[in-house]
Amino acid sequence: MKMKKASVFLYLIANIFNTLEIVAGLVLTIFGAVCAIIKPYAVQEIIEGQYTAKYKITQGGLNQMATICLAIGIPMLILSIILMILIKKASKWPRPSVGTNGAVMLIGLLDGDIILVLAGLFTLLARRQDPDMKEEQNHLGLRASRAIGNTFSYIVLAIISVVWILPFVFIVLQSFRTETTSQVGYILPKQWGLDNYLFLFSPDCDFLTWYFNTFIIALACCILQTIMQLMMAYTLSRFRFKLRKPLMNIMLILGMFPGFLTMIVLYQVLKAMGLTQGNAVGGLILVGVASSGMGYYVSKGFFDTVPKSLDEAARIDGATRFQIFYKIILPLAKPIVIYTILTAFMGPWGDFIFARLIAFGDPNGYNVAVGLWSWLSQSMISDYYTRFCAGGVIVAIPVIVIFLFLQKYYVEGVTGGAVKG
Amino acid sequence: MATVLLKDVKKVYSGNVTSVHDFNLEIADKEFVVFVGPSGCGKSTTLRMIAGLEDITEGELYIDGVLCNDLQPKDRNISMVFQNYALYPHLTVYENLAFPLRLMKHPKLSNEEIYKRVTNAAEILGITQFLARKPKALSGGQRQRVAIGRAIVRDCKVLLMDEPLSNLDAKLRNQMRAEIILLRKKINTTFIYVTHDQTEAMTLGDRIVIMKDGFIMQVGTPAQVFDSPDNLFVASFIGSPSMNFIHGKYKAGKVTLGDGSVVEVTKEMMKLHDDFYKSQLEGGDPNDQAEQFLRDTHGVDLEKFQKIAGGEEHEVVLGIRPEHITLVKEGTKGAIPLTIEVNEMMGSEYHIHANMDDGSKVIVRIPTISLEEKEREEMVPDHKIYALFGSKALHLFDPDTEISLLRKKEAKHEEKKAEVKEEAAK
Repeated sequence: MKMKKASVFLYLIANIFNTLEIVAGLVLTIFGAVCAIIKPYAVQEIIEGQYTAKYKITQGGLNQMATICLAIGIPMLILSIILMILIKKASKWPRPSVGTNGAVMLIGLLDGDIILVLAGLFTLLARRQDPDMKEEQNHLGLRASRAIGNTFSYIVLAIISVVWILPFVFIVLQSFRTETTSQVGYILPKQWGLDNYLFLFSPDCDFLTWYFNTFIIALACCILQTIMQLMMAYTLSRFRFKLRKPLMNIMLILGMFPGFLTMIVLYQVLKAMGLTQGNAVGGLILVGVASSGMGYYVSKGFFDTVPKSLDEAARIDGATRFQIFYKIILPLAKPIVIYTILTAFMGPWGDFIFARLIAFGDPNGYNVAVGLWSWLSQSMISDYYTRFCAGGVIVAIPVIVIFLFLQKYYVEGVTGGAVKG
Repeated sequence: MATVLLKDVKKVYSGNVTSVHDFNLEIADKEFVVFVGPSGCGKSTTLRMIAGLEDITEGELYIDGVLCNDLQPKDRNISMVFQNYALYPHLTVYENLAFPLRLMKHPKLSNEEIYKRVTNAAEILGITQFLARKPKALSGGQRQRVAIGRAIVRDCKVLLMDEPLSNLDAKLRNQMRAEIILLRKKINTTFIYVTHDQTEAMTLGDRIVIMKDGFIMQVGTPAQVFDSPDNLFVASFIGSPSMNFIHGKYKAGKVTLGDGSVVEVTKEMMKLHDDFYKSQLEGGDPNDQAEQFLRDTHGVDLEKFQKIAGGEEHEVVLGIRPEHITLVKEGTKGAIPLTIEVNEMMGSEYHIHANMDDGSKVIVRIPTISLEEKEREEMVPDHKIYALFGSKALHLFDPDTEISLLRKKEAKHEEKKAEVKEEAAK
């Protein structure tokens, strides 16, 4: 029993080391591949354009680096993955295989890895000592084998989440930096303070106007679009009329074209209506709401899962179609209603292309995205960079709050439309 | 008063699929009519047309004398119970029952009135203790009760039920069936009930409408459709296990079966047989849609009928219900030898599947109690038994058109009319 525990323990440790090795191999390989694929001078150009010369890496250096990284990374990756499979098999109680344990010991000897040698040895001894394989042992062995499998997944996931979350942390940290307003080459601020935020809310800053503009657009779109989209979805889900299928297909195909294909025409139309520049809010609401029916697809999928006999029962009970819609279908489709509200709000909230085009030239018509972006122009960036970061944080807050409260429904909405049930 | 009248009602789906052909039926006030038939026979479509959930392609539908073709379901003053209950999952049982009441406009009901009606309906169905629950927290039987409750709470003229018991397990189904019979006594309205289960049809209905491929095959009281089926389909559909059909040759009141045994029919049957072929030569009864449908689909060989009417020997299908066959001792006059193939022990009775000498299959239904213990032990495969077909219980069918040769047309029509009148008087 002690032998067995020792073997499980040793294998767990060996696995952790091996997983680290896989990660290292992975990082080296990826880095090497990136260096090799992207032409070094292109990388250089990008870096030069954005950053100062101290980040410059010479062309030859990069080539060398790619070669070294790939030469070490790929064999390391392959070997450690093979080793992981071997370890998993070798440590698999109740029947750890003699062959794989032997192989693991051999690799350990060649590699000079004492842990592997010992783990293999203990496992084989434990196997010989206790051929009956009692229940508790099986349990222990299975748990170890699962833990070994999981370690790898967790480490990869941890790396991905760090990569994912780093920009956010970066922005938040920058927004509290007060020693200078321009870009710097380090992450942690040297002086902390709320100056950037205070500036945003000071009277000589347009930020509040932009924020208010965006809020009005998003709110109006959110309300109107939700109503239209859900009604459209209900109609297409429940009514049968001529050309229903072709209509749905046309809308689906039209929806596949990016919206900004229409922007030049839209601009002319809105300009003729006087809804550009300073009046861009109205124009943007119109643009956001006009095509809202075309987003019927997800909600229609959800409505389709509500049994039709409910409609029929309600019709016989004396309900009109509209009563069925808001008394029966909407309460049942709560997740999708919330999903629609969220997406309808998020679209205009983060809109840039149309907002930039329609409000072009008049800061009074900007929304936050366009306004903040204007701070990043070459002449302004050194004064406004940290303020831009603070603005970004404030833009994110309402969305984060909404999501925290409604994420349950959001997920249900996304999956509910797809699954019949 | 709520009569339902269907005049030549027809349903054609897009793509020229005719689901219901010229459906004619008059349903009296407070009558319980059951539509029964195999799946795809158009019974549910007909019901949904009456409910207003499907458009009527052709023909007229009158509820209480009002032409209802183009009325919305809510204006027809009907209610319906669905097979899958169709309860509103987000509402409590109370709100489910109150839903139709809250939507009523003339007269607009006060909350007290709604409360009174809901609790009243809940009491009738014994669901008072569940009123605060959501449908999810109820069993199948309880849900079905709520569904029925929602249908009766409004005091509608016609109560439609679309296979309401199909989703329940066998035991619960029997129980609910009995409760529907009791319910009917309490609420006094016109019922139209759709089912594919002939037992439900037989036990519940005042009249049964048997349908096949969109045609009515026979309309009649349970006794009528059981005792004198109009055609082979009705005969095989009603009764369980279903009627035995044996091919034979008929000549002058005697039917010779495949194995050479001879079965005699009664004098009355002989006359009906002769009348049938005479009437067929004249084109049959133009008012009988089922007969016309069968004549059309199977084709009529007039020359053959001419010969038959002249008394020539011809093929018939002899029908006899399993319970009308009696087992007799070897050597009894008219006994038909059978070899047991399978014996199903049902507890109170045996269903014996047996073969005649020429291979025709016969099912015999024998009450367990009528057999001695020794005889019971003998009922094993390959054992020989001798059966006697009671001549009064025989049915004869024309093998080509599948129409019954023994139809008492005039009598039956009068009977039907009397029945309807009697119901109306009630």
